[in-house]
Amino acid sequence: MPVMQVNDRTIALDDEGYLVNFQDWDEEVACELAARLDVGKLGAESISMLKFIRDHYRVFNFFPIVNSICRNIHAPKNCVSEKFFNPLIAWKIAGLPHPEEPIISLLEAGQSPG
Amino acid sequence: MAKLPKPEELSKIDLTPPKTDWMDTPVVFKEGMFCHGSKPKSLEIVGFPNPREWRPADADWKLPENWKEILLEGIADRLKKYRSFRLFMDICVRCGACADKCHFFIGTGDPKNMPVLRAELIRSVYRKEFTTAGKIFGRMAGARELTVDVLKEWWYYFYQCTECRRCSVFCPYGIDQAEITMIGRELLNLLGLNIEWIAGPVSNCYMKGNHLGLEPHTIVGNLEYMLDDIETVTGKRIKPTFNRKGAEILFVTPSGDLFADPGTYTAMGYMMLFEELGLDYTWSTYASEGGNFGFFTSNEMAKRLNSKIYAEAKRLGVKWILGGECGHMWRVLSQYMDTWNGPADFLEVPKSPITGTVFENAKSMKMVHVAEFTADLIKNNKLKLDPKRNDHLKVTWHDSCNVARGMGMLEEPRYVLKNVVNNFVEMPEDTIREKTFCCGSGTGLNASEDMDLRMKGGFPRANAVKFVADHYGVNMLANVCAIDRATLKALMEYWVPSVGVCGLHELVANALIMKGEKERTTDLRGEPLPGIEAKEEKA
Repeated sequence: MPVMQVNDRTIALDDEGYLVNFQDWDEEVACELAARLDVGKLGAESISMLKFIRDHYRVFNFFPIVNSICRNIHAPKNCVSEKFFNPLIAWKIAGLPHPEEPIISLLEAGQSPG
Repeated sequence: MAKLPKPEELSKIDLTPPKTDWMDTPVVFKEGMFCHGSKPKSLEIVGFPNPREWRPADADWKLPENWKEILLEGIADRLKKYRSFRLFMDICVRCGACADKCHFFIGTGDPKNMPVLRAELIRSVYRKEFTTAGKIFGRMAGARELTVDVLKEWWYYFYQCTECRRCSVFCPYGIDQAEITMIGRELLNLLGLNIEWIAGPVSNCYMKGNHLGLEPHTIVGNLEYMLDDIETVTGKRIKPTFNRKGAEILFVTPSGDLFADPGTYTAMGYMMLFEELGLDYTWSTYASEGGNFGFFTSNEMAKRLNSKIYAEAKRLGVKWILGGECGHMWRVLSQYMDTWNGPADFLEVPKSPITGTVFENAKSMKMVHVAEFTADLIKNNKLKLDPKRNDHLKVTWHDSCNVARGMGMLEEPRYVLKNVVNNFVEMPEDTIREKTFCCGSGTGLNASEDMDLRMKGGFPRANAVKFVADHYGVNMLANVCAIDRATLKALMEYWVPSVGVCGLHELVANALIMKGEKERTTDLRGEPLPGIEAKEEKA
């Protein structure tokens, strides 16, 4: 199983780079995931977006409506694509588990089945 | 997501046919032109056969040993069961009237995307196994053996057909290519040869009630978010109900509208309209999917998923069912539901509580399309509308294949549209109404890994939009289909980036003057209303 080193910790990833254990996530892990995805340095705004995504996922077992992420941090409504290119990348950096296929197309390309 | 070629490259369509005869031209799986294969978990959940890990581009598809026997039995069963199937196998004279009517042929130039030839893929096997001429004369009679290569060809091309039925409009015999594709996919499904973008939503819907897999509290949470936005725009707090027994009407809509833009604006539109009417309705978190991806796997699976709608209507004790904006949902509802899961004699013939209109057309299925419902409201002067609020938009109308061609709903949405916007322009005549061009991504093909196929298949539709955008300044493409709202958005971004996409009831809600609302300054998307910026500047 692939792993990544974050300071002295070894973090398990799956074959496509998703975090295996939800609880392994912290800001340092997020920064390392972001670096691997060429997203660049994560600022305070990005971190609060990621925390909101995680909190939402914990309660709803689903990604939040994309615009609600921006509203939550009082940012313009295209904030997710500005910081992370697309919501699927935000999903990955937020340390959520490997999504099912429909979720990938939903977040990566805005496609919904019906 | 694979990188797409640029539009100028993709629009160079090579119409040169291959040098070899079609039977001698092997199928080549091109990246970007097909979807991922189904995952075993998705098939196992609904009890579909042959669940296993497989990839369409692999040589070995891990078929069961007796795969040929299974398929031939499958064909024989369906020939007995569906008279239409036998008829469509027998009566085609290969006149070619359909050949250039398919958006996938126009966009790819691949002869096997001519509807006549796509049907020949299966018809040739039918001739070989089920007709005397084919058995005796073989290839001379257009017959061929069923081999693994033929099977792969079926898979590749039956998942390059969106069952839009444009070809059938032009067929002098009325052969319905969609039914041939449906049978083709059913047969493939007998061997576990599905795509995950269909199988995943099907298993989600079976387990959780909707394609996205939204759980009950998530549905409520997402709608709550939209209600916040409605409050920001109108100053009104709406409180819809969920799973409420004794409501007059059950409302069912595609789950895409509960998550993805621009569908969410359409969902906001429904809630604003129903609030203004004081409609006694309820959402359901059980029957929480109007769409039916089971329809793209097999008749039986579609029936199983569909059964939740009547079951929930019965449990809640409603009088009738109102349905949201969707395409294939309505083909399933209006042409199959009553036969599969009816009669719904515990329901009443739908009657608008606002106008008293009885929807005789829904006498049997007991379900009314929201565009009919709203058209009736407007016709009876029950809504206060200010179309000027949509004056920043020049709108054209995309007839969604299943609603327009499938159920003949051509006038109702146009009637609504003309009352809620001042600027409406039709696309060229050969591309609308019953001759409408498909979005290129229906029937479960709107995944992200087959974007080449989707952009090619959507090219004719995009081309017609580009025409009205260039000539009349059209900047919005409206429709009544959840898949369209998702797929056309991607299509426009690629081919005609100046044009946005919206649902009909987003425009209705923008124009709707609600009792006690504050003065609106933005539309549902939070964009300033026309004239507002100028007003603010003056102040």
